[in-house]
Amino acid sequence: MVEAYIGEYASGKSENAVNRALDLLERGRTVTLVDLDIVEPFYTLRPIKKELEAKGLSVIAWETGDTVGLGEAGNLLRGDMLWALRREGDIVLDIGYGVEGSKTLNLLHGAHQDPELRIIAVINISRPMTSSVQDVVDYVRDLGPVHAILNNTHLGEETDEQIIQEGAKVVAEAAKILGLPVEATAADEKFRPTLGETDAMGHPVRYLHRLMPKTFW
Amino acid sequence: MTVTSVMEPKMPKCWRQETKPHKFCPGCGHGDVLKALGTAIDELGIQDRVVFGCDIGCSLLSWDFFNFDSIQTHHGRTTPVITGVKRARPELICIAYMGDGGGYAIGSQHLVNAASRNERIFVLLANNAQYGMTGGQMAPTTLPGMKTETSPYGRDVEWTGNPTLGPEMVAAITPDSAYVARGTMSNLRQLTQMMKKALQNQIDGNGFSFVEALASCPTNWRTNAAKTWEFVEKEMPQYFKVGELKVPAKKEG
Amino acid sequence: MADKPIQGEKRMFVTGNEAVAYAALAANVDIMYGYPITPQNEIMHYFTRLAPKFDKPFLQTEDEISAGFTTVGGVMSGKRSFTATAGPGNTLMQESMSMAEMMRIPTVVVIMQRGGPSTATVIYSQQEVTMTCYGANGEGIRVVYSTCNHQELYDYTIKSFNTAWKYRIPTFVLGDGYQAKMRESLTMYDPEARGIKMVDTYPLVGLPGSPGVDRDPAHLRNTYNTEEELYEVVSNLVKDYEAVAPEIVESESFDCDDAEVVVLAHGVVSRAAVEAVRELRKAGIKAGHFRPITLRPFPDKELKAVANQAKKLLVVESAQGQFAKLVHHSLYGDSTPMEYIFKPGLGITSDEIINKVKAML
Repeated sequence: MVEAYIGEYASGKSENAVNRALDLLERGRTVTLVDLDIVEPFYTLRPIKKELEAKGLSVIAWETGDTVGLGEAGNLLRGDMLWALRREGDIVLDIGYGVEGSKTLNLLHGAHQDPELRIIAVINISRPMTSSVQDVVDYVRDLGPVHAILNNTHLGEETDEQIIQEGAKVVAEAAKILGLPVEATAADEKFRPTLGETDAMGHPVRYLHRLMPKTFW
Repeated sequence: MTVTSVMEPKMPKCWRQETKPHKFCPGCGHGDVLKALGTAIDELGIQDRVVFGCDIGCSLLSWDFFNFDSIQTHHGRTTPVITGVKRARPELICIAYMGDGGGYAIGSQHLVNAASRNERIFVLLANNAQYGMTGGQMAPTTLPGMKTETSPYGRDVEWTGNPTLGPEMVAAITPDSAYVARGTMSNLRQLTQMMKKALQNQIDGNGFSFVEALASCPTNWRTNAAKTWEFVEKEMPQYFKVGELKVPAKKEG
Repeated sequence: MADKPIQGEKRMFVTGNEAVAYAALAANVDIMYGYPITPQNEIMHYFTRLAPKFDKPFLQTEDEISAGFTTVGGVMSGKRSFTATAGPGNTLMQESMSMAEMMRIPTVVVIMQRGGPSTATVIYSQQEVTMTCYGANGEGIRVVYSTCNHQELYDYTIKSFNTAWKYRIPTFVLGDGYQAKMRESLTMYDPEARGIKMVDTYPLVGLPGSPGVDRDPAHLRNTYNTEEELYEVVSNLVKDYEAVAPEIVESESFDCDDAEVVVLAHGVVSRAAVEAVRELRKAGIKAGHFRPITLRPFPDKELKAVANQAKKLLVVESAQGQFAKLVHHSLYGDSTPMEYIFKPGLGITSDEIINKVKAML
């Protein structure tokens, strides 16, 4: 299984990628998580790399102390990132934001030949660039190849069930126009008792343990 | 048991082994440009006289790359820092290393004036058509129509002008004793020769030396190996012609 | 062409840099100038993505000297103009801001502070306080808003255009790398829908009519011949500034009335201070927090009132005393004992403040 999570700046790509990788790991699979956030060096996996590795994940990411002049010098990609698709087991890719969208995957050896690669666009309709059906459609069309959309609508601490369901509705409508499936709705673990297994549109719900707040810079 | 038969990549003598492998992204042009520079310095035997300054940007990653005394300067200010060293200690071989943003945008006034004054320094500039350090914004050398983070709809030359032609500009404002060339990482032998001539020009006390090197940035171009080479060898030379623009006449005697 | 960038009001989840880009558009800014520097890049990234939809141009200049001076030019042409920068870029903009001070040019600059001195780090600090308030060869004829959350970044970016143009004083929004990159929700709104009228802009050059025929030409100067001439000009600048300062100053205080220890902090650090005061109060300790929102002009009167009541003061900042200098200046003659937490370039947690306050009792 090879999944790449892409999407708008601050849409929740990394949170979903990390949680997906941990979920697969819990099912006893071998999983490699790859950090390909190459536009701005913050909110990436570096700060929680060791914690994730301790859980048994293979993590391909920089460690902050190993970078030189973080944000003022290049060193964004490492050789092992490019060869990530040759790893054994499942691979979860966290693709950063940027005008080039899913073209970032061009950097990975074998990305275009990999029949298992699924590119999942993460959408939060509380993000101003993707706040309406038309915005989402335009945005996803601009990303390049995408296989599915994931509703990750939330408002941080202020999230409630209604916001998540509104996201599910907008994402479902956009997906229909785009002719793409909805992968799931993602929601914080605390909504499990109220939301249940599926959202109002019938999409499966993936519950998230929030790890990314620990990863600031 | 130590395995001794492992192939070690051949590196110039003046490279600092302790800092290798270097930290440029895979496929980055800087490594090749600095290999050409290292080879030129080895062949001229001037390692112990070199003072090397590097700019802010990806070129910063060269700050501990060589066994030379090296200075991290400020963004755009490598040319004046190195000029200051040379003016005070003319016996040193002074090299200013920078990217296209550092040389043609924020440091352009220094490039123009150092060239006009015919400073006896060597300015080496890697041109990869965007700002790699800050996440791929438009640079003076971004190609027309090219998408970057600050030209998300493609570079519009009506609004932002055409790619800067650095060596052409430097050639136009320097006296005959300057050396000016544009090389490319795709012809390292030629690039090395250009750097040797540039350094020799300084050694001879003739005048300003300037080499622009076309360099790759697959990370920010989002290109695989094949597309990267296509960009360097086909796309860039459409705007940036490779060759020598100014070669000082040999001194008599 | 789309209508307004923000219709009515909406609750959104964004980074601080985006909040600034949207606020500028909501404030009906005419043009942005800028040069890449971390950690403010996404202000430009989002401005360049959004602005063409509203027919607003962006110019990427060759450096921050140019970004500052093109902003000056844009403002003098009568357009609502701004730029954004950080650290070494802020250093380079001091030259143009000096011109703006002298010539009363209502520029708006958003600063996302990073580590210093020199190139340092791109991450965070509060080390640009002195430079933003008093940089360049002048008297600090500036307005500096120090924000502490995304809502304020949005509110004060809009407000800064009105302050600048109402008083004709160069105005700064002083954020930092944490605020720039943090994600939190805020309410974006169309200022008009909230009854905020954007102050009209007007040209200083390119005026209607025929200069020398039906009007005098605008001959705008910043250079003077004699000491006496300059003295008069600067005295007038200072007098005008001091006259409007009371209308401009803003501050906030929490639980200061009966506080034994008042924590003084600004910007993002005041979030930790608020949190610390809440926790200390829960533990029965009388702590309070005072926060200047404007660092220039500084809320002297308000701070003095707080200091008079408090037994002790604690100054907390992510710099080596730059904010404390403003406090000292403001409280000259006051004898309330003062202690400090100085952490240049480092974040400060509520726990550190709590422990320090406890140690001070």
